[in-house]
Amino acid sequence: MTTPATTADPGAMLDEVRRLREQARDRAHAGAWFPVAMLAALLLASIALYRVPFAQTYVHSDDLHLWAGLPVAQRSATASYLFWFLGTPATIALIGAWYRWRARRVGIRVPWRWFAITALGALAALAVIAAMPQDRPAPDPDMIIAVEQVTLLQELRWGLLTPLMPIALAIIALGWVERSRALVFAGAWVGVITYWQSSQGLGELPGWLTWILGGFQGPALGGSLTLFGLNRPGPTLILMALPLLVFAVVRAVRTRGGLR
Amino acid sequence: MSDEPAHPVLALDETVHQRIRLGILTVLAETAECAFTTLRDQLQLSDGNLSRHLRVLEEAQLVEIRKGYEGRKPCTWLKLTRQGGAALKQELAALEQLVARLRATDSLR
Repeated sequence: MTTPATTADPGAMLDEVRRLREQARDRAHAGAWFPVAMLAALLLASIALYRVPFAQTYVHSDDLHLWAGLPVAQRSATASYLFWFLGTPATIALIGAWYRWRARRVGIRVPWRWFAITALGALAALAVIAAMPQDRPAPDPDMIIAVEQVTLLQELRWGLLTPLMPIALAIIALGWVERSRALVFAGAWVGVITYWQSSQGLGELPGWLTWILGGFQGPALGGSLTLFGLNRPGPTLILMALPLLVFAVVRAVRTRGGLR
Repeated sequence: MSDEPAHPVLALDETVHQRIRLGILTVLAETAECAFTTLRDQLQLSDGNLSRHLRVLEEAQLVEIRKGYEGRKPCTWLKLTRQGGAALKQELAALEQLVARLRATDSLR
């Protein structure tokens, strides 16, 4: 008998409720590996959008719409735009189909619509905000922008208005839907790396951070981080997708595909 | 009148406290919706037994029952109501208080 065992012993009853809850939770969220794997695949596939994804180069791009995600030269702005604005809804549709199919097969529904609403809502908001006219500074002939010239608002705009941000939000929403702290962490991980790389430039460290890392001494001039290839889009995206891949593999193996 | 707090047994709800119904609410609390057959298999109950308890929970507005089709196959989906979630939480809190009280009494002996 798997129902709470005895009314005479409330302790045993509570233990049985806990066991039953754990069993139900494991079964309900066993299918989480698939959407996570799809989102990781989307992140990894976006590596193909960059002109030089793995080598360190100093290719300059005049393109103001860096739709690839990270602020570095892309192959084609149109291809990047289509990739995210068609690829993300297509991935979500595929994930929705998985959840519907799994609900029919296993008999358990997950509130995945909140995940879809978050992802598509954030993507739509990005499209609308990015389409709004804005005052751009006159191009500097020497291509040098002083650090002082970058306002916090500009930094926020660069850090948040990237197609990678809706993916980070979608992963956090998925973590809530699947009741997984690990997934919420993975979403925050993608969000923080995206914000940092997009607002500062690939691998660039802000002055205050180099000052802290230097033991609160010396000038706060900023610096560059080349560890793990974080100054290149390919390794950066792999590092972003890594927690998702680990989650997907572990969950798929543990639950044997989540089909029971 | 006594100043002593009410015994946690008084906080137990008879509708929820019944072991099978407590099991049903526990499983439903973990899902957005659960199929009748899935719940039946998980709790190892017969169709009739589960239906009887679901009727009690539905009448108490703790569970919502929705009948539909999955393709051509009829399917009954079950969902915990907000009231059901609150009742389960209250029941588990009362049980925990009861366990704590029993342990305290045992340690005094």
